[in-house]
Amino acid sequence: MKIITVLSGKGGTGKTTLSSNLAILLSKRKKIVVADCDADAPNLALALGLDEKDFFNWEKVETNEKAVLDEKKCIGCKKCYNVCNFGAVEWDNLKNQPIFNSLLCEGCGACQLVCPQNAIKLVKVKNGKIADTETPYGFRIFTGQLKVGSTGSGKIVSLIKEKAYLSAKQQQAEIMLLDSAAGVGCPVIASVQGSDFVVAVTEPTPSGLNDLKRALKTVEHFRIPCGVIINKYDLNKSFTKQTEDFFLKNNIPLLGKIKFDKRFVDSLVNMEPISIKSTKHRIIFEGIISNIEEQLSH
Amino acid sequence: MKIAITGGKGGTGKSTIATALAVELTKKYNTIIIDADVDCPNDHLILDIKREKIKDIFQPIPKINKEKCQKCGRCAEVCKEHAIVFIEGDYPVLIPEQCIGCSACMIACPHNAIEKDKKKIGTIYQGNYQNLKFLSAETEIGVEEESPVVNALKKEIKKKGKEFDFMIYDTSPGTHCNVISALQGTDLAICVSEPTPLGAHDLKLILELLKILKIPAKILLNKSDIGDKKLIKKIAREFKTEIIIEIPYSKKIIDSYSSGEAIKDQTIINLRKYLEENKK
Repeated sequence: MKIITVLSGKGGTGKTTLSSNLAILLSKRKKIVVADCDADAPNLALALGLDEKDFFNWEKVETNEKAVLDEKKCIGCKKCYNVCNFGAVEWDNLKNQPIFNSLLCEGCGACQLVCPQNAIKLVKVKNGKIADTETPYGFRIFTGQLKVGSTGSGKIVSLIKEKAYLSAKQQQAEIMLLDSAAGVGCPVIASVQGSDFVVAVTEPTPSGLNDLKRALKTVEHFRIPCGVIINKYDLNKSFTKQTEDFFLKNNIPLLGKIKFDKRFVDSLVNMEPISIKSTKHRIIFEGIISNIEEQLSH
Repeated sequence: MKIAITGGKGGTGKSTIATALAVELTKKYNTIIIDADVDCPNDHLILDIKREKIKDIFQPIPKINKEKCQKCGRCAEVCKEHAIVFIEGDYPVLIPEQCIGCSACMIACPHNAIEKDKKKIGTIYQGNYQNLKFLSAETEIGVEEESPVVNALKKEIKKKGKEFDFMIYDTSPGTHCNVISALQGTDLAICVSEPTPLGAHDLKLILELLKILKIPAKILLNKSDIGDKKLIKKIAREFKTEIIIEIPYSKKIIDSYSSGEAIKDQTIINLRKYLEENKK
């Protein structure tokens, strides 16, 4: 089985649109499993016509811990306040006691270890949920959602991936397709780790290219082969040329170019991937798939 | 007044709006734009600002002193990030990428064998665009824990000491830790969204987060004429807020954005007026 991850650096370049179209076309020739690895703002299911209610097995997950205080034991030594590197321990001068800010607490346990009175406990928190379901297109999708105001989206992404991987193995799937979050932070690192190939989507703008370069550095860091797609390439042809030159110079294979088309927005509103109705787009995405397959065979 | 430009979904136009608004406000007010999208900062590209490095941001990282280490494995046991690998009989091995710099291992080591070292996690930059002041931070590639980068940036703002009439915070997409750190302490959040089910879904998440943080939130609907506006109106009602500005899809805006310059548009002037009327 091969694991393919779609990422971009910059948000809104078309990761989810690309993933949804690749998924339905790939599934016609191969057994696949897909996973939405953007637990912050998961959208892949929506693009495939499914909303939250179409998932029946939501399972709350605990990937984080938070510090809590036993007020009776606290002697106000301030050691916890001084040790916290995340600004999560505030000091209540009136009570001469710490206040733990759960929005900032990483659950690292440094305060618990430093406390001479054993007054700090770490408790598990439900910081997200995960689920999976069958799409109308005949493949399974795994998704998850970070609880708003919680930390640890990277760990939730790892859990989604684990579940999807087990299911893919069971079904003897040939491909696992992951749609990652924007940026290059912890959820993206969690998505990319262990992938066989990365498809990076960019747009012809200075921001698009700048963020793509950061994303590609992350991919390089994990030594994963990758290819790129320029979306909305006709919006700025001279910048597209500049982007292509960068790929050429750095030996990064260009897997495809996609024109801006208002029908992409319509397809999102209608929650149906564009290549279902548009033959022209089906051909474009099939071309991209062939190019990915060629890269994978190297 | 501290204004956050956020929105949940990526690519809805946060940086486009943040830069255009900041440039507009600068005409009359002492303004600073803070690019808190430490993952992928772009405001300097849009405004064509030559960034000047102020300083590097470091986090503590353990360094195992093999002369003192008794190979007990306590450090690996307490590390919640699994950044220390310990195999019985061997010295513990640190995986620096996984380490978030909490110091738990240093506290736990019964032999005082772990020293404090540091690793670079980001850089703080400054610059200006005409009278507009600019501050930003960028995370090092491969660093997972980004809140400390945003917090270091916020410390730097405090150090500037100068009073600004308006401080514009441009955040990352999503709702995770670095967005939370950027939003905390702001007076108003403008959520930039687009009229698609994806935009609506992510808007809802960021509005929920802002409710928890007790930050007043308003909606700016970008690309308002392509898609289905009703989706966003429904959420505005649900969260008892309103769409304060609508910006129709325009080739002109796309062109100026893709060529790397701040957009000029009547809707941005309207946004400035809205803020003047509602200034704290």
